[in-house]
Amino acid sequence: MSRMGATTSSASASPPPPRTVTFTLDGVGKVYPGVVAVSDVTLSGYAGEVLAICGANGAGKSTLTKLLAGQERPTSGRVIVDGYDGEITSPSAALDAGVLLMHQEPVIVDTFSVQENVWLTGLSAAGRRRPWQLVGGRDRADRTRAALGVVGMREVDLGMPAGRLGPGPRQMVALSRSQVNEHRVLLLDETTASTTEEHFKDVEALVRTEREAGATVVFVSHRMPEVFALADRIAVMRNGSLVDVVDTADTTPDEVMTLMIGEAVMALEPPEPVAATDAPTLLEVRDVSSGSASGISFSVREGEIVGVYGLVGSGRSSLARSISGHQHRDTGTVRVRGHEVHPRSPRAALRQGIAYLSEDRRREGFVKDFDNATNLTLSTLGAFSTRGVLHTRRERRRVARLVSDFGIKGGADQLTSSLSGGNQQKVCIAKALESEPDVVVLDEPTKGIDVGARLNIYQIVRGLSERRKAVVVVTSEAEEALALCHRVIVLRDGVIAGEFVSKTSTTDDLTRTALGGEVQ
Amino acid sequence: MTHDTATRTAAAPAADGEGTAPVRGLTLRRAGQWAKEQYPLYILIALLIFAGSASDAFFSSYNVSNLLLQVSVIGIVTLAQFLIVLTGGIDISVGAVAGLAGVLSAGLFGGGNTLLAVAVAIVLGGAVGVFNGYLIAYRGLEAFIVTLGMLALGRGLVYAYTEGQPITPHAADFRAIATTAIGGVPVLGIVWIVLALAMAFLTRCTVFGRRVYALGSSKEAAHAAGVPVRATMISVYVIAGVLVGFAGFLLAARIGAATPTGGDNYEIDSIAAVVIGGASLVGGRGRVLGAFLGTLIFGVISNLLVLLNVSTFLQDAFRGALIIFAMVLTTVQFTRRRRQRTAHS
Repeated sequence: MSRMGATTSSASASPPPPRTVTFTLDGVGKVYPGVVAVSDVTLSGYAGEVLAICGANGAGKSTLTKLLAGQERPTSGRVIVDGYDGEITSPSAALDAGVLLMHQEPVIVDTFSVQENVWLTGLSAAGRRRPWQLVGGRDRADRTRAALGVVGMREVDLGMPAGRLGPGPRQMVALSRSQVNEHRVLLLDETTASTTEEHFKDVEALVRTEREAGATVVFVSHRMPEVFALADRIAVMRNGSLVDVVDTADTTPDEVMTLMIGEAVMALEPPEPVAATDAPTLLEVRDVSSGSASGISFSVREGEIVGVYGLVGSGRSSLARSISGHQHRDTGTVRVRGHEVHPRSPRAALRQGIAYLSEDRRREGFVKDFDNATNLTLSTLGAFSTRGVLHTRRERRRVARLVSDFGIKGGADQLTSSLSGGNQQKVCIAKALESEPDVVVLDEPTKGIDVGARLNIYQIVRGLSERRKAVVVVTSEAEEALALCHRVIVLRDGVIAGEFVSKTSTTDDLTRTALGGEVQ
Repeated sequence: MTHDTATRTAAAPAADGEGTAPVRGLTLRRAGQWAKEQYPLYILIALLIFAGSASDAFFSSYNVSNLLLQVSVIGIVTLAQFLIVLTGGIDISVGAVAGLAGVLSAGLFGGGNTLLAVAVAIVLGGAVGVFNGYLIAYRGLEAFIVTLGMLALGRGLVYAYTEGQPITPHAADFRAIATTAIGGVPVLGIVWIVLALAMAFLTRCTVFGRRVYALGSSKEAAHAAGVPVRATMISVYVIAGVLVGFAGFLLAARIGAATPTGGDNYEIDSIAAVVIGGASLVGGRGRVLGAFLGTLIFGVISNLLVLLNVSTFLQDAFRGALIIFAMVLTTVQFTRRRRQRTAHS
């Protein structure tokens, strides 16, 4: 192992300090059918350090932590933890070896009490635990309280069902497990994504305690301020590969961002704003409240792409889903071409000219047992049938056309579920467009899609604008909002916090507005 | 739906020329893939060869037509079960509802008019379908629980109505459909085959069928794609109910009287036939041909056990063993695909 532990280590000439290796990823790769999630990553962690893993969405950082925690088995290479014989191939082996993973979505059993949740790993098959052993012990409540105290949750009711906790406290309860499990490596997979400022302080404190105790903390994030506040070293991933490992002291957020995003996205120039007067308004949203969105008004002209940017919980998805009939709307009006519409279902929305691309592609994007052909025509079966009987030939001709127009790999007969994320997304978008909607609402159109396919999706979205559609792009990435949209609306706490013309704005403007002016 | 495209490509390779123009090798591979998935057919062929060699009486025209009579009623119930299983549901009330439809069709209105009897059976089946379907599609209840209740309710009403005695209708032509034959083929068997073809058409060639597959495979995705999930779902239960009601009448017609135990175990037999036929109990996968062959496999085994003088109790045990065997077979069948799927999530 080289000192940096990476294949492309920086040219540091100083002699290696005496540090003990805690874990080693040795040429690790993970290939899913059609997708290379992680390829040939070699990386080591050292005792008493905080190692950040950065990367854009879909860069493979979550998969990497899952490999390290035995949640996934690598298709090539080995995962080795110092002091543990053999490779890490299962979650319980990882626990035995002292690797503790904190998921992005905290692992909480809603019906268990807070206390039971703190001790949840006690149910695993790790160690010498046997099914007939008793759970609990005399000093349990004290120790639970002490563990929760470390993460700022001293006051919580131990007997309360954990399902009643809010998103922040849920994550903190999960984090408190680090206090009751012996471990050498603590993996935090975007654990701060759903926590507030106040809890971030607790996370920060926890990470520092861990480091002083000699553990390796692996901190996965794409939020630069947090990374630079916590990490000693930063491993940057892009497209499944480890691009570089840098010392935090020797670099800047800008450099890391450039490494993360690469050239592809940077190359895309923001579009010219649509002239303010001549194009007619296609979509008009007035005082819409639904879920976490409250009283939002905006309008979109023909051929215009409007971005909706905000943090988790800012109401961006609520807004998109309520416009397109996926979610109940409390108040407000939506007009398409001047006609008021109030779709109560996706079906009604499609009829009224509004198509929606779901953020959750696997659940709502396509039917898992359908091939591309049947998925592509599912929304518009009426066009391929007379009195309910399908015209298979007409359908197949149309599908062949769509497959070549959108460049969908695998053709008509391949199961959509076996395609890569980018190609799945092409199927989903093509399907949504088949109903010839006036308004297209795209919720995180590039979520989990690699850089190359991203450009493809961007071109498709630009094409929509050329076809005179009104396009709304909901996104959590400021770069994407600016690169893709004519205008960007920034949401904060359910209301519009600002509006920007992409041509004349920076990502900094957007993130500042989304966070409320104060960037750490 | 892979089966769908596979059959299409295999049957009419010329049709593809205008569209995607796949290579001939691909067509051949898909045909091979299709052949690989026809294991119910191979089981049936193996069974028929075994049956023919084990018993001389098996292929006699009397036995074959008797076999067809025996499997037709359960075959129609299996078609209903198949449609429900496609949606990811299950109906364990089919036997009780068929029994109730049978006794009411024989007993209501004095049993003097056969057409009226058919109407009673169908209306009852349809009404049960509306009830089950409403609770499942619109109230979000589990199909298993709803139909479990309906099973007890239906069977209870059968006993209450008959007071445990068989009901013999007066109409002279009540048995006609079960006793006549056209060109040596029993009419009952023809009815079954025609209904199976109609079900194949409904599921493969219509918008309705496509929607059933879609919602059975991914309910949320179907909803998001604009499929009217609830309306489709309740329609499935109504169609299934009508089929089950009609089967109840046919059962009474075949026996000549409606017995209180009529339709017993139909839920087990129909679910087993559907599963042996390759349909997934999770929904979204399966073909009518499979359900049809599944029915035949069960019928042949039952018939053979009788011919070989196996005791009635052992016959039940044999059928149970067959169900388990078939389930194991389906896991072997789907293992490769499932592995692919879990790898993705």
